[in-house]
Amino acid sequence: MAEAAIRAGCRFYFGYPITPQNEVAEYMSEHMPEAGGTFIQAESEIASIYMVLGASVTGARAMTSSSSPGISLKQEGISFLAGQELPAVILNVMRGGPGLGNIAGCQGDYFQATRGGGHGDYKTIVLAPGSVQELVDLTGVAFELADKYRNPVMILADGLIGQMREPVVLPEPVKHLPEKDWALRGAKGRPSRFSRSLILNVRRMEEHNWKLQRKFREIEANEIRFEQYLLEDAKLVVVAFGSAARVAKGAVKRLRKEGLKVGLFRPITLWPFPHKKIRELANECSEFLVYELNAGQMLEDVKLALSGSAEVFFYGRPGGVIPTPMDVAKIIGSRYYQRIKRKAK
Amino acid sequence: MINLDLYAPLMLPKEELFTSGHRACQGCAEALAVRIVCKALGRNSIVAMATGCMEIVSSPLPTTAWQIPWIHVAFENAAAVASGVESGLKALMRKGRLPHKKITIAGMAGDGGTADIGLQALSGAMERGHDMIFVCYDNEAYMNTGIQRSSATPFGASTTTSPAGKVKAGQETWKKNMPEIMAAHGIPYVATACSAYPIDLYEKVKRAALVKGPAYVHCLSVCPTGWRIPSGDAIRYGRLAVETAAFPLYEVIDGKYQLTFDSPKLKPITDYFKGQGRFRHLTPEAVARIQERITRDYEKLRAKCENVNK
Repeated sequence: MAEAAIRAGCRFYFGYPITPQNEVAEYMSEHMPEAGGTFIQAESEIASIYMVLGASVTGARAMTSSSSPGISLKQEGISFLAGQELPAVILNVMRGGPGLGNIAGCQGDYFQATRGGGHGDYKTIVLAPGSVQELVDLTGVAFELADKYRNPVMILADGLIGQMREPVVLPEPVKHLPEKDWALRGAKGRPSRFSRSLILNVRRMEEHNWKLQRKFREIEANEIRFEQYLLEDAKLVVVAFGSAARVAKGAVKRLRKEGLKVGLFRPITLWPFPHKKIRELANECSEFLVYELNAGQMLEDVKLALSGSAEVFFYGRPGGVIPTPMDVAKIIGSRYYQRIKRKAK
Repeated sequence: MINLDLYAPLMLPKEELFTSGHRACQGCAEALAVRIVCKALGRNSIVAMATGCMEIVSSPLPTTAWQIPWIHVAFENAAAVASGVESGLKALMRKGRLPHKKITIAGMAGDGGTADIGLQALSGAMERGHDMIFVCYDNEAYMNTGIQRSSATPFGASTTTSPAGKVKAGQETWKKNMPEIMAAHGIPYVATACSAYPIDLYEKVKRAALVKGPAYVHCLSVCPTGWRIPSGDAIRYGRLAVETAAFPLYEVIDGKYQLTFDSPKLKPITDYFKGQGRFRHLTPEAVARIQERITRDYEKLRAKCENVNK
């Protein structure tokens, strides 16, 4: 991920130690100087997100990474980035919570990530990789989207992907970065520019909010990503994201071999969420099973999308427990027999 | 003359309040420091501890090494929580809900939780003047998360986020002078200590506990894992840190400085660096630069102590 960020033109990395994502900071400390970039280990998570803000306002590509408790500390800064319309990439390698929790893979930060996270009416684009290769690929996408929409982008990985070692194909380094006519770079010979989120006039604040909302609607219209796996004739659709989806995929593969008509739908963008696509799936299939490594967060989005048009069953494991594909296959299988086979009889 | 070194350990309380069985690395001098600090605090105390090595190794559910009341919180706020505990107890005693008695409140954190992310909360607590002790166990990096640099990492040390390589030669900034920052708060008691001098550490924490108002003890805690030294050498390196004045031992009582270990002739810093993997890459020029700085800082400290005595 760190190498992919450098290749995506990121030259500023600001971090703070927290398990399970220290490998990113350690890689950056070694390789960022070699790429002519800057690595700074800040004195806190709050300082590191504002260093990102500072670098971003100059027009540079900047990022930070952390894990759940650290991301909570960064929320104020993320709200400021969104309010001031500044691009940034934030990697959250989720771990078990709440509080200090543990350092195992978990998906408990779904709400925090997809609902904005900090204060105020805003959204961050949330990308959920399901493998190390996808983490690499989405890193490039994250920097592009952040610049395109001038909005923070969060990559929502978890301790499982964060600690996984897999061979990856790295992208070619980005040669040309977009021009930024809003960046603060000294005002010699031109009027000075401002970057702020304090707008005391309520009407102008409202207008600024509507402007942000128009941008969010545009993102919703253009940037939804998802993966469909064996959905054509599926009688039961499993919905899962990130590493849970990877486990679920193994389970679906196993069940298909046994002749069960199950498929997997994996949202890649968690915000914007593929509501419409899920609603369409309900035309073909009336059974859904949401599987998450939490106590039921994306479940709410799936229910909203379906609006009662299909049955939704939930299987969740909070706290860092990661079931095997066999465990998940058992759950899916029993649900399948309960609902579909019985109906067939 | 009586050899106090032989008799003094016998005077320490036998009761272990930080028991064995915890998961610290072999030869951890920080665990030793916690053990001695707890002996000095006694049973009637409450410890608020930040995230860090000592929290992780001492409290994995369902076990605990703590025999005294202990609360763990996040990384940045041990001092804030200790402030709250102190204020809460004070209020309960004032209202007569608790009998009046002396309960020692201690905040504890590593160097990251003290000098970096915890500094704001610590400064606030010291400034407000809570009756508490804050102990910093300084092992000179974020050892718990895998040896990342902190602002207490000494100049030149190689860590996983200040790696020595072709472009950079390890940590490029000087160790943040935490005891001096605390002394600048004008609190009644500040001391530096090292678990290689256990009796000295014990006495300092005792003194800190007796002081009315905030007290700060900065304890150098040798980390064999992070410093890349044999695990049997923690005490030897702790002593060398003091004998070379890389980490001088002193107290500041009501603004008055006093060296608690003073040698007429300091050992050269090379004695301390020799054998430490984290300093292995240092060039003679870098060592000379560090030596010069350490000598200068030590002279400054000595001058402060002498001014007091005049």
